[in-house]
Amino acid sequence: MQRTRTLLTPTLLLLLAAGCSSGGGSGTGDQPSGPGDSSTGTSGGSTGSSAGGASGATTTTADGSVTTSTTTTTGGEPDPPLMQPEVETSCPTQTVSHTPLRRLTRFEYQNSVRDLLNVDVSAVGDIPPDNATEGYNNNSRLQSVSSPQAEQYVYVSETLAALAVQNLAGLTSCDTATTGEEACATEFAQSFGRRAFRRALTTEDQQMFMNAYSLGRTDGSYAEGLEVMIRAALQSPHFLYRLETNPPADPTAALVPLGPYELATRLSYLIWASGPDDALLDAAASGELTTKEQVGAKAREMLASPKAFTALNDFVSQWSDLDELELTSKNQTLFPMYSEDVNAAMQGELPALLNYMLSSGDTSLRTLLTTNLAFVNAPLAAVYGVDAPAGGGTELAQVTLPEAQGRSGLLTQAGFMSVMSHPDQTSPVLRGKFVRTMLLCDPPDPPPDNVNISVPEVGSAATARDRFSTHLSAGAGCSGCHAKMDPIGLALENFDAVGQYRTMENGQTIDVTGEIRDVEDAALEGEFVGARALGEKLGNSELVRDCVATQMFRYAAGRLEGLTDACSIATLQDGFSAADGDLTELLVNMTQTDAFLYKSQVTQ
Amino acid sequence: MTRRIRTTQPLRFTRRNLLRGSLAATAAIPLLNAQRVVGQDEPIRRLIVLSYPNGTRSSMFWPTGSETDFQLNTFTAPLAPYQDKLVFLKGIRLNDALQNGALGGTVGSEHARGTGGMLTARPLNSGTEFESFGNTTSGWGSGQSIDQYIADRIGTENRFSSLQLGVHVRDTEVRARISYRDSNQPIPPREDPGEVFDALFGATDNARLRAQRQSVFDMTYAETERLAGIVGTDDKVKLDAHLTSMRDIEERLVSAEGASSSCVAPTMQEVDLSQDTQYVEAGRLQMDLAVAALACDQTRVVTLQWSYSESEHLFQFLQSGGRAIDGNHHGISHDFAASGANFDAYNAIQTWYHEQFAYLLSKLASYQEGDATLLDNTLVLWATEIGESTTHGLTTMPYVLAGGAGGRIQTGRFIDYGAGEQDNNQMLVSIAHALGVEDLTSFGDPSGNTGPLPNLA
Repeated sequence: MQRTRTLLTPTLLLLLAAGCSSGGGSGTGDQPSGPGDSSTGTSGGSTGSSAGGASGATTTTADGSVTTSTTTTTGGEPDPPLMQPEVETSCPTQTVSHTPLRRLTRFEYQNSVRDLLNVDVSAVGDIPPDNATEGYNNNSRLQSVSSPQAEQYVYVSETLAALAVQNLAGLTSCDTATTGEEACATEFAQSFGRRAFRRALTTEDQQMFMNAYSLGRTDGSYAEGLEVMIRAALQSPHFLYRLETNPPADPTAALVPLGPYELATRLSYLIWASGPDDALLDAAASGELTTKEQVGAKAREMLASPKAFTALNDFVSQWSDLDELELTSKNQTLFPMYSEDVNAAMQGELPALLNYMLSSGDTSLRTLLTTNLAFVNAPLAAVYGVDAPAGGGTELAQVTLPEAQGRSGLLTQAGFMSVMSHPDQTSPVLRGKFVRTMLLCDPPDPPPDNVNISVPEVGSAATARDRFSTHLSAGAGCSGCHAKMDPIGLALENFDAVGQYRTMENGQTIDVTGEIRDVEDAALEGEFVGARALGEKLGNSELVRDCVATQMFRYAAGRLEGLTDACSIATLQDGFSAADGDLTELLVNMTQTDAFLYKSQVTQ
Repeated sequence: MTRRIRTTQPLRFTRRNLLRGSLAATAAIPLLNAQRVVGQDEPIRRLIVLSYPNGTRSSMFWPTGSETDFQLNTFTAPLAPYQDKLVFLKGIRLNDALQNGALGGTVGSEHARGTGGMLTARPLNSGTEFESFGNTTSGWGSGQSIDQYIADRIGTENRFSSLQLGVHVRDTEVRARISYRDSNQPIPPREDPGEVFDALFGATDNARLRAQRQSVFDMTYAETERLAGIVGTDDKVKLDAHLTSMRDIEERLVSAEGASSSCVAPTMQEVDLSQDTQYVEAGRLQMDLAVAALACDQTRVVTLQWSYSESEHLFQFLQSGGRAIDGNHHGISHDFAASGANFDAYNAIQTWYHEQFAYLLSKLASYQEGDATLLDNTLVLWATEIGESTTHGLTTMPYVLAGGAGGRIQTGRFIDYGAGEQDNNQMLVSIAHALGVEDLTSFGDPSGNTGPLPNLA
């Protein structure tokens, strides 16, 4: 099946124009074999002519139809929709673009050491934060280790190792009295080392561990020996980087299938944001990760673990900018109810919702965007205008919000509304920009340098619609971009800068008519009224599902999609739609893409 | 923010111990070679770069008067007690490669270019990693920054060859990095005063641990080097950078030298780094630590960044027009009106930043070194990433030097170079010369001028 789709966003256009994507299909006609998959073709079940498709894609790039998107400042008319070049998807994939070396992010490091050592991992917070681009902090292009970071890797490994050996029984069940220290250390190296390096150990690895053991054992103790081994493991490139150096069976193949341990590692970081456990490593060792179907089945199995929540929560929280809630402050005179307690509760809203969705078996994007449930404690309940849950305390309890408020899932969560606002007023621009960028994958250009971007004074007009009206009035030169954002955000004005429900602002009734303009989906385009209508439109839209699938690709692959990912993106988008927008199915689908199952040849 | 408890053995330098008895804690640490600190003929010269965001308003920044008889303006009034230690440099532009539409196109907004180019004097790498205002994208800075260049020459004997500090920087993009080890290798600033304190004053007096560290380093280094030979060329760059970083920290982490007993640790306090209202407190702690690090010769090269370029930091702790300032710095700085609430708020924020600059100068001046003070022996560069806030011009950059680097630069001057013939390449060369790196003839993009600034030394 060949499906023509517009999978390129302006950002990606720039990427291509700069010639960043490598490969593009040589059309050799060779069918690379997938894992254990020889005759039935490839991902997506495509039977189209791959050679033609691939070169078609290349031509599209080279013909100059890809241009830098420009801001218009010429007048009040909105820009015509940017015509994305349509790319014939070609399955199977002919080549994958360079598979970059990925370092563990701080988040992944923290989860990995938690699972390896079972200790308090708060020291990990001392590692410098990861660099972010395109909304995600795990892009492999930005993962160079600086001196302060290298320093923290040493200190943090020492702190964690010291904590770990305070509870030897938690580390190893080997009894030194009966088995002997040397033998127990060897056994620990084997079992711990395998989990730390995420593969079977070589003799060199084993030797390195035992050398580390001696450093601590000599004039020291058995415990100190293990402690130094742990330090060595956590500082090792085999732990810090997700190495995929398995040599390919065929050094000329354009697509190199991953080895079983490499697949296990990709699976565990995708689904758990952590390293593979013993069960998963055993499965890899015994050949249970050789076919695409097996990989998918394993992914599904892993989704049942509580650890699956961690990765999904991280993706959604970065995608939605809710990770900025920590730094969101408000004008205390205007919003005295916005306390540290409220902020803390708000930070728990998304995790609570995702938890609920996972345990109730409904993990659809639609529910995320439209649910009328909220998760509150007493301080947060006051913001929502509902009764505090019985029992008190800081834990969040599920409540159904009053229908009259017309809340719509994540879009109107109090924390989300707070992030997408200024300290003293709402921001229809930020709210509209979020929808445009992260749900429609149509990022507006940043404002030109030389315009007044100061936020209007709260007192300058009664409602936000009036205060921001200059963005849309003819002749202002701003409407080219703002027409894509503000009319969407204005539909959410029933929720103020801390997410409280309101129907009036400064004595005037709030008009929550919204509009989505310039979008290539007739069902999305046009006017609507209020948050719930917006949520329903977005939650039911194939374009939105395609966009979220692309966002997941970027997060999961740690890079932007390139031309050679056309088939993988198609697989992902098709699967997401077929599963009616189920987010856990999206994760499973990721494991079925060529981008996940293959790597590129090493070029020296 | 995470509080780290160091649990290395046997001396446990938790922050609480240090707060109660800082002198007692440091007394057990072996002395640094005292000759390196005071008592020499040649003063030890240091460099500290202080950066603040979003440019300035020239009409309220530049002094008036002649080179040696000048009057401070509104923003710089807080610097009055140190006027004779200052050198205002008016008329310096960023080089052609950093200007709009120059030499192959514009990569990154003025904010981004001014940040990545602040100490490198080079344009940004092209790329799509970072989006900036003005509808362009870019990668990181494309060369080594002058602080690193100087650190390689004068800082290799110190515990820290250089130290990067930040106050509420938080951001991890191109607009938040001024120090570069090399192209695409930004160095993140340390933001947690507690962590900085531990790094400076928490050295471990544990020979066994240090020996173990050395051995683990050797194993890690060897294995990383081996892998760098196996992976592809792109990935090798990443591993090579890691190797360089390891080498940079190795000496300090395995050496017996800690802070000397004459080195007095500053008093610390708890601060919540997520609260914009505690900007002052966080900044003061970092400045205290920076100055202590210089005074104790733990390092001779420091960069200290306030926030990030295009900073949207809030200033609710400042009053303007009778009420707390509501908007964010960048938004306010873009109001073209010549009066009004934003105009006043902007001025208040600018003046406040210069009060922090004055605080740093006062701290430096409080350390006596022979007949002079630490301020006299230091060269301070006060810089921001663009010129005029509203128009984002990259000319007439509001640079101020302070201190004089042990007499290498005559201070108490307002040098007006006139019509922008001088560029930032020259300023960075002058800085290197002042720090004793005299053989440097040019720095930064080749499109810029060679040699130092005239009439400066």
